[in-house]
Parts: sequence; C-alpha cells; structure tokens
Amino acid sequence: MKCEVCREFWEEYLDGELAPQDREQTDAHLSACVDCSESFAALTAEQDLFARYDREVEVPPFLWTRVAAHTVSENSESRPNWRTRFASLFTPSFAGAVACLLIALAVGIVYLWSRHKAPEPAQAKAPSEVPSRDPVLPSVQSAANKREVIASRKKPGSRVKAPIVHAPIDQSDVLSSDLAYLDMDEQDTAKHIEQSKMLLRSIKNVQISETDDEIDVTYDKALSRRLLNENVVLRRDAEMRAKFPTKTLLADLEPFLIDIANLPDRARSEDVRVIKERVQKTEIVAALLDYQDRGINNR
Amino acid sequence: MTGAFAATLMNTSADLVTRVCQGDADAFRLIFERYSRPVISFIYDMVNDRGLAEELTQETFVRAFRAIHTMRAETKLSTWLFGIARNVARESLRARARANNHVDLGDKSVMDLSDDKPVPVEGLLSKELNGLIRRSLAGLDEDKRLVFTLKVLHQCSYEEIAAITGFSLAKLKTDLHRARAEMRKKISPYAGVGYEV
Repeated sequence: MKCEVCREFWEEYLDGELAPQDREQTDAHLSACVDCSESFAALTAEQDLFARYDREVEVPPFLWTRVAAHTVSENSESRPNWRTRFASLFTPSFAGAVACLLIALAVGIVYLWSRHKAPEPAQAKAPSEVPSRDPVLPSVQSAANKREVIASRKKPGSRVKAPIVHAPIDQSDVLSSDLAYLDMDEQDTAKHIEQSKMLLRSIKNVQISETDDEIDVTYDKALSRRLLNENVVLRRDAEMRAKFPTKTLLADLEPFLIDIANLPDRARSEDVRVIKERVQKTEIVAALLDYQDRGINNR
Repeated sequence: MTGAFAATLMNTSADLVTRVCQGDADAFRLIFERYSRPVISFIYDMVNDRGLAEELTQETFVRAFRAIHTMRAETKLSTWLFGIARNVARESLRARARANNHVDLGDKSVMDLSDDKPVPVEGLLSKELNGLIRRSLAGLDEDKRLVFTLKVLHQCSYEEIAAITGFSLAKLKTDLHRARAEMRKKISPYAGVGYEV
C-alpha cells in the first residue's frame, strides 16, 4: 500500500468504519512506514484532545419536572378524574339506594351518640371498644404513631385520632445535604464520588444469567466516560491541593471507569462479569462509601 | 436509588419504548434519565447556548413522548431521539438566523481567542481547552458541526449519523473530513497538532 492510499483511510480507520481488509493493510503499512505512523500518531492525539472536551453542561433537576408536566402528567390529566367518575355514578336508581344508605347511617350515628352520652356504661365500655379499631389501622404505621395510639387509649372516652401515615419517601436520589457546606471543588468531588459509587453499585448488582450473551450497557458506558473525564481533572486538583486521600481514592477508581467506558454498547456478559467481580473483590464501593462517611476535615 | 439504577441497566431501550406506549410513566422517566445528558450535550454543541439547550432538550423529549408510538421497532432509540433533537436544534438555529438576518456563530466575536500566542496543549487547563473547542465548533457551518459533533464527540457510527441527519454516506464523509480539517486549523496552534490530510 502506498502512503497516499493509506492516508485516505486514516479517518475511517480511526472512526472504526474501515472494512476489515483495508484495516489490515493500513495496520501493516503503519507498522512499516515511519512517516505515516508519526502523522497518524498526531491524528490520534487530536482525537484524544476532543475526547477530553467537557461541555460542563448538566441536566438541571427541574428539567424532568417541566418535561413531565407536558407529557406524563398531562396524559394522566386527560384521563377521567375522580370527580368525573364520582359524578357518573349518580344515575336515578343509584341515587335512591345512596339516599336509603345515608338515612340508615344517620340513624345509626344518632343511636351510638345517645349510648355514648349515657354516663356509667359508656365510661366502662370505652376501653374495650377502642381496640376494636385496631384492625383498620394501617400496618405500616410507625412506632411513634403506635405509641400515640396507646397513649390515647389511656384517656377513657377520648376519641382515637387515626394516626397520619406518611408513605415512605424515596430520597435516595437526593445527594447528601453535606454538599451545601462544601466549597465548589469539594462539592464537585462529593458529587463525583456519589455518582461513581452508584455506577459501580449498579455493575456490582447486575444480574447475569447463564443464557445472557450480551448486556446493554449503553447508559453506564456513557456515564463512565463522563465520570472518567471528571475523575482525571479532580484527581489532579486533589493532588495540587495536597488532598492525598482523595487523590488516592480517585486513582483507585479510575481503572474501573476506564474498563466500563471501554465496553461496547452491548457488552459480552463475560466482560461485565469480570468487572463486576473486580468491583466486589477490591471493595472499591466500600472505599467510596467510607470517603463519604468521613468528615470533610479529614480529607 | 440503587434498585432503580440497577434496573436501568437491565431495561433495554425497546422494553422501555413498549412500556411507554402502554402508558407507563416510569418508563418514560427512565428514558429521560438515560438519554437527557447526551441529548442536552448534543443540542448544546449545536446551539452553543446553555439556557437554550435546556429549553430545546425539553422540547425534544416532549415531541418524543408524543410521537413514540410512531417509532419503528427496528429504529435505535438513541438514533431516533438524536434525530428529533437535531430537528429541534435546526429549527431554533433557523429561527435565530431569521431574527438576526444572518447566522453569526462563526463571526469574529465568537471566534475571538483571548490570547494569540500558541500554548502547548499540556499548558491548556481543561476550561481553556473546553472553551477553545467550543468556540471552534461554533465556527463550523451547521452541516459540518452536526456530523463532527455526532462522530467525534458522540461516537455515533456513520450509519447512525446517516439515519439522524438524512445525509448520504458520501456527503457525511466529505463534511466530516472538512470539519476535521477546519477544527484542526483552529486548534493546531494551541494543541500542537500539525498533521494535514
């Protein structure tokens, strides 16, 4: 192959788009021709330069809220809401049945109220009546709420107020509030460590079955590439600021990010398994957690 | 988050699309979480304005949600989303060009580099390098910027770029080659990359 022909192939070669036969010939020429291999190294260096490009553009947290308002939320609003559904129940025959039920309910309430007003029997019965409400208490109520209920049982004749049950709120995607107290560099590092930890955890927890030949890691790969860029910068910063524990941790983290970033979009299960096992063996996730747990002053 | 994060690894894009079509809002959120960053980066590369990139990313996902049932099974979700993002960015650029009566991304104010003296790449701080690439990118015309961004910065294949842009293979290769040459010309004094093809 002549140098001119070889040069024409370089960009496609670099882009991974060259036909296998042409690639082999280009490889052979590059290993034999000093001039071409030097020029090709310059082209590779240029590519590396662009790979370091970081736009410093983040997806702001409010963006999903805005998108959701025009998509998933809007869609759910277009479905009949509870008012519409409730109003649709009031056909003439159903209204009659509801009226009867309401009358029966009113009579029952008046009867119970008059019994409650009777002095001695009501006082005596109150403690035994209250526990009958227990089955309707939500099973997820907190210990504190249970204590409130027990305390209220001690007051004879007092009404048991149904405890307010707070649904468990998933705040796992909220970064540590410590971030607010850190300076900009420390905030960046803390955020970076958090995101890296989540990435490695996802790799560590990935389920690989015997039948899986490939696993889609497009998202994780892209994330790893971004984190790798950040990691290089933060590691250098940490070194310059003499934050050696941080620097060491970031240096330990880097090989994992490189390995994940270099996976193809549909990675072989075996390759993912190797990384997964290495994450487990080296306990890098524990090291990242430990870093987060330690105080800022120790870093 | 760990569970959700691990789940994102296991959810294929095709599964997510099917679930969105069935009215699963969580699936659409997963799509957003997975692709919002590459989409906003791509749009930012095209429009060179952070606030506008956020708006256009929102518009991209809203359009995607409304049209997702029309997506063909054989289409890759990322390619499809980038195609929408490309249209949204192009419309915005055209509107801005009409408003200004000219596209001024490549004018002197944009391309004005703070220091004429070449600095070796090792001496460039990340921020300076980022600024240099960003300004050089803004100096390319729209088609060249588009193919350069997709290939070099987003590592899309030629096939994907052709699907996103609608360009023929020959056009995209030519545009890409010219874009590389222009970028090299702007960056080489600073980066010390002196090679010519």
